[in-house]
Amino acid sequence: MVIEKKELLTFFEWLLPTDQGPGGLLTFLVVSVVLLLLGLVVSYVFCAVRRGPAEGFFAVARGVYTGVVDFANTSPRRVFAMASLAIKEAIRRRVLIAFAVFVVVLLFAGWFLDVQSDHPARIYISFVLTASTYLVLVLALFLSAFSLPNDIKNRTIYTIVTKPVRASEIVMGRIIGFVVIGTMLLTMMGVVSYFFVTRGLSHEHAVILDSRQVQGEGKNQIEVWETTFNSHHRHIITRDSAGAAYVDSQMGHTHAVTDNGGELVLGPPQGQLQAKVPIYGKLRFLDRAGKEAREGINVGNEWTYRSYIGGGSQAATWWTFNNVTPERFPNGLPIELTLSVFRTHKGDIERGVLGELYLKNPDKNITSESDFFTSVEYGTDQKLIPRTLNIVDRDTGLTKKNGDLFTDLVSQDGRLEVWVKCAEPGQYFGMAQPDVYLRSAERTFAFNFAKGYVSIWLQMVLVVAFGVMFSTFLSGSVTMLATLASLVLGYFASFVVKVATGEVLGGGPMESFYRLFSQKNVSTELDPSASASAMENIDLVMMQTMQSVVYVLPSYRDFGTSHFVAYGFNINGDLLATHIATTLSYGLAVTIIAYFALKSRELAA
Amino acid sequence: MAATTAQPAEASAAPTDKSDVVIETQNLTKVYRDFWGRQKVRALKALDLEVRRGEIFGLLGPNGSGKTTTIKLLLGLLFPTGGRAMVFGEDATSVKNKEKIGYLPEESYLYKFLNAEETLDFYGRLFDMPTAVRKERVAALIDEVGLNWAKRRQLKEYSKGMTRRIGLAQALINDPDLILLDEPTSGLDPIGTREMKDMILRLRDQGKTVLMCSHLLPDIQDVCDRIAILHHGELKELGRVDKLLTVQDVTQIRTKRLSEKAKDKIREIVKNDGAELLEIDNPTSTLEELFLSIVQDSEARPGRRASGGADN
Ligand SMILES: Nc1ncnc2c1ncn2[C@@H]1O[C@H](COP(=O)(O)OP(=O)(O)OP(=O)(O)O)[C@@H](O)[C@H]1O
Ligand SMILES: [Mg+2]
Repeated sequence: MVIEKKELLTFFEWLLPTDQGPGGLLTFLVVSVVLLLLGLVVSYVFCAVRRGPAEGFFAVARGVYTGVVDFANTSPRRVFAMASLAIKEAIRRRVLIAFAVFVVVLLFAGWFLDVQSDHPARIYISFVLTASTYLVLVLALFLSAFSLPNDIKNRTIYTIVTKPVRASEIVMGRIIGFVVIGTMLLTMMGVVSYFFVTRGLSHEHAVILDSRQVQGEGKNQIEVWETTFNSHHRHIITRDSAGAAYVDSQMGHTHAVTDNGGELVLGPPQGQLQAKVPIYGKLRFLDRAGKEAREGINVGNEWTYRSYIGGGSQAATWWTFNNVTPERFPNGLPIELTLSVFRTHKGDIERGVLGELYLKNPDKNITSESDFFTSVEYGTDQKLIPRTLNIVDRDTGLTKKNGDLFTDLVSQDGRLEVWVKCAEPGQYFGMAQPDVYLRSAERTFAFNFAKGYVSIWLQMVLVVAFGVMFSTFLSGSVTMLATLASLVLGYFASFVVKVATGEVLGGGPMESFYRLFSQKNVSTELDPSASASAMENIDLVMMQTMQSVVYVLPSYRDFGTSHFVAYGFNINGDLLATHIATTLSYGLAVTIIAYFALKSRELAA
Repeated sequence: MAATTAQPAEASAAPTDKSDVVIETQNLTKVYRDFWGRQKVRALKALDLEVRRGEIFGLLGPNGSGKTTTIKLLLGLLFPTGGRAMVFGEDATSVKNKEKIGYLPEESYLYKFLNAEETLDFYGRLFDMPTAVRKERVAALIDEVGLNWAKRRQLKEYSKGMTRRIGLAQALINDPDLILLDEPTSGLDPIGTREMKDMILRLRDQGKTVLMCSHLLPDIQDVCDRIAILHHGELKELGRVDKLLTVQDVTQIRTKRLSEKAKDKIREIVKNDGAELLEIDNPTSTLEELFLSIVQDSEARPGRRASGGADN
């Protein structure tokens, strides 16, 4: 799973300025001020043209003053009345059919979901979350886009605005009403989806007693059974001479096994619906010569999410974890690592690439004994570092038996380093910061699933808010297009920015079209000509405009947290908090814009 | 925007107290434009009007003469192209003013999926009325407009007259001081029309101000204290109904069971007096005559001819 850097920030790291960027708060303030000034200038020019420069100034001043007064006099009862009207309207328009559609989709989903995949849970969860997102966003789009324009077209708005209703109350009422509808719908979808996932994944196996095989002798003797083939897989049960039995992991889960008087019984599936709480460290690199480097090597085959270190050299990488205390990890340190492997020669393809992992005290040159492991390609390796372990003093080379993890390897202030090296020359390990983490507490899956729906909910709120805003000055169908465009642009925000800044090859829209028709590769230079430079200039203007538009739009892709739920990671509270804060800010800005748009509109014209 | 802004001198010629002026328009002009800003219709041309507290003011005019446009301007549903529209001394777009205004639109633009009770309750909420007050008021109004038997039915099932009635109830939900009625009797049966007129008179008696527009002359004649006649967006006539309708140089004789002999005698007297006998007949509705003559006259000789002479 790919976790982006910004998904790991704490709420305040996101909010306040850091060396990485200006932070959410400052960005919001700057954008607000720019938009405000822009709004003032545009409305002044407009008023000045209509009524002359002085009168225009007073008109704008009066408008701003009225706006402040109107917002201050917002009446909850009126907002509530408008909201419940919107709800009634939506229900009369039979929006709940959307829920029926959803249920039907789920009923058919069983046929086309790839239940034979290695991780059916991921597929189930991604599917229900994606289906819920699309359905609820489309619904939010339709509801919010047509409501106000319909009121204006049917002139029912006349009887509203001739009552002491502020434009802000009309806007807020609409937004709240549709959000309530969306919430109802999402709740229903969430509950149904939850049962769809848990029911769909639950299955039982019986142990085939006849399949018992004995391997090894004496103390090393183990017994092995097979289970029945259910839900496209079977498990192998192994029991050692001490009587401890365990079930191997298949399709991302295992089962508990109990010995019921000589008869082995498997429990329900475990480990497929989880919410791991990973604790991430800070990743750093040593290059081939053993000097500290900002990054490893780019092996050039993929995009640059991961950095690589070569085997058989000084190159190494380490993660520094904070707050490693016995209270948090009473049973030792559970480490999970997902390394990507890049082979410059085939080596032994049957076997993974050999790697070395050890823990190190950040303040001293004291480490644990190296653990040589073979990489699990395309998978996650889980290790539990016990509290009692052998300690190596790297300066003297002496080994101390039965040292303590926390007293010997963790620094005074609770820091600990986890080092990884590639042990085979010519092979490379690739890693990104989230690839190695300490697994602390486990949260309930149901709660994490609910948080996944909160993310969808936030996107729905944004779509509703933007839809209502556009509908204050556009007609219904145009509103829908505009909202859809904002959704798509917001979704591909990072791509648009990359095109604008020239990070993506092939140029802007004009150039791309030209390349498309002239069948030129994106990396070939265009012949320098007047038309080529004209094309580039038009593209530049277009992309700059797009970029500034995109800059003020919410980037919907960032709001998606379904990958966390699907891959069994707890959705970080900080991440959710940043999303909530972003949504609230957009809600506020959009309400204000919508207020002025509606207020300055001649509704009977 | 405030009531204290300087009033133009010519408007203050009216003898009544300024604080009694509920509606005032100065030079009010409206030009409808299309999307590209091109002029479509000059719907209202420099209208000067004054409506005072406690009177029933009628706006009269043929179809498309600018009556509805005037009312929309007074409600802030339209913005003036020129001039000003003031209600209760404030700009027509003021939201606070709306607390004291009731409006019955030309057609009842209500939410069809609500029933009568829900409709009135909804509009009551928009006035921030507490639940108890709202309940009482809703019940009273439904009773008053005679819709008790249909109060639980959705408005989409209502007939035109029923919709009109609920529209009126909606306009009165806040016990307004100023009521703007756009063709209040359209769609009503004779009984409904009578009731509507009685209601308007009753409102006046409660001290409220009513501005209504209509092209139904009997309605206007029956209830209005003062009228303005519009034609093609121009003010043609303005004044008290009784004064406007007294034709100074015409004497009308109305009797019952007058014998032919007596009629001849009267003809004789008239002839001896040197006057010209027009007719001795059942009189026609004189407002209709006035109206038609103004419209015909205006058609023949276009141009503004607002006579404030018959004022008061
Ligand atoms: N929204 C609009 N856009 C363009 N022109 C309009 C609009 N509304 C009204 N008009 C024009 O303005 C003029 C005045 O219309 P208005 O509705 O005020 O007439 P009215 O006196 O109320 O007529 P009626 O008795 O038929 O209701 C008409 O010529 C009409 O075509
Ligand atoms: Mg009209």
